[in-house]
Amino acid sequence: MIALTRFRLAAYVRSHRAFQPLIGLLVLLAILYGSPLPAGAELGAMADSAAILIPVFAWAARGLLDNEPDEQRMIAITAVGRREAVVGIGAAWIFNAGLAAISFAVLTLRLSGRPEVAAVLAGVGLHVIAITAGTTLGALTSRPIVGSPAASTLALLLGYLAVLLLSLSGLPWLTVPLMMWMREAHHGELLAHFPALAAWSLLWPLIGLAAYGGLRRTRP
Amino acid sequence: MRVSNLSFRYRRRAPWVLSNVDLAFARGDVTEIVGRNGAGKSTLLRLLAGLLRPLDGTISERPDVVGYAPERFPSGQPFTMAGYLRHMARVRRADPREVEAWAERLGMSDLLGHRLPDLSMGSAHKVGLAQALLGDPGLLVLDEPFAGLDATTRAELPLIIAEVAERGGLVIVSDHQGELRGFPGLRRIEVGETTAREVAPEVAAAEPDAPPRTAPEEAVTILEVVVAVSRARELADRLRGEGHTVRMSEAEVAE
Repeated sequence: MIALTRFRLAAYVRSHRAFQPLIGLLVLLAILYGSPLPAGAELGAMADSAAILIPVFAWAARGLLDNEPDEQRMIAITAVGRREAVVGIGAAWIFNAGLAAISFAVLTLRLSGRPEVAAVLAGVGLHVIAITAGTTLGALTSRPIVGSPAASTLALLLGYLAVLLLSLSGLPWLTVPLMMWMREAHHGELLAHFPALAAWSLLWPLIGLAAYGGLRRTRP
Repeated sequence: MRVSNLSFRYRRRAPWVLSNVDLAFARGDVTEIVGRNGAGKSTLLRLLAGLLRPLDGTISERPDVVGYAPERFPSGQPFTMAGYLRHMARVRRADPREVEAWAERLGMSDLLGHRLPDLSMGSAHKVGLAQALLGDPGLLVLDEPFAGLDATTRAELPLIIAEVAERGGLVIVSDHQGELRGFPGLRRIEVGETTAREVAPEVAAAEPDAPPRTAPEEAVTILEVVVAVSRARELADRLRGEGHTVRMSEAEVAE
């Protein structure tokens, strides 16, 4: 599985398609951190970063999974069996962790004050959840699941918008509560609720990953 | 490997591609899948390779190591031939030295440093065959393996298939060009009308889309060949692979 993960990451980076989400990330970072972050706004900035980067993570995950030609995916399935789908998710997650590390490094450089350890840990945790959510959205819009590239792009954008709108509505428990992350982080309430909020936030991506695994059983 | 009551279609309400198929394969079997275009040969191959799941029925006792060479190798990948095959050797947990060995056997050693997108169709097809052969597959599934191959590799491939079978491997081939006709002990499965059934070689040879290479009534002759003892078996195997009858007793070899 490690060899196939390395193969897929190498294929994605060498194809230069990996630069597309990377450029998107750099544009976002330029907008978000054009000016230094004021002292006391560290956790709020980390929550904003995690929530805003989800579509970049989804774009990168879909790009990595779709980078492999269908016949090569068939070859991979005969080599490692049904773990091929798990390897794809793992490779996308690792690539997105790299993007998140770049974002986190830039964010840290733009901080005016020194953040608390608990705030940093919560920020890292939110990014881990965001990576998982973005990877899930990317996987659910990848070619084996949504055949048309146009429909796939639309589904990715509408999927993220739906998550934002649902988390704004009175029914945030129906999705990953992104707006709640940001609101509680900016009001200094996030750390008190973090374990419950993290568990709730991870629930939907895990359900999405299970759905992806189920769909891939009949869509090699 | 046993196929029991297998049925498959691609979507709900779509017509069945295969229905109630029963097949059995023994270790060392070499089987040719025949049928007209669109009959479901590639679908059957993908089911046998474990790429598709039967909607009904089962495929049991599939060997652990499966090699699959698709009809069209995806050459649009950002690797050199050597880089790709070394990655595949690691993925398939094969000895990396196999890469050079198969490259030499398939006549593409001089192309190892070439990028996959720059390869000709035939060379790309050889890469597909080489990756499938890595790691001593117990089940080798080849979809139109002779397409685009040069004459030397076309003659070599039956020998490779025979070696896999001698090792106890199971080889299943879809072969529109009939290159395996005359292969000793070849089994044939005809796909069509949503069924797949074993047919006698004569029936398969009568297919309109796959005419026999030699007309039955064509006169035959006996050709004597003088060859070094060390190369006799290799030549005999090669000629058998091309469909000729070869008689070679041990006494004759000793002479």
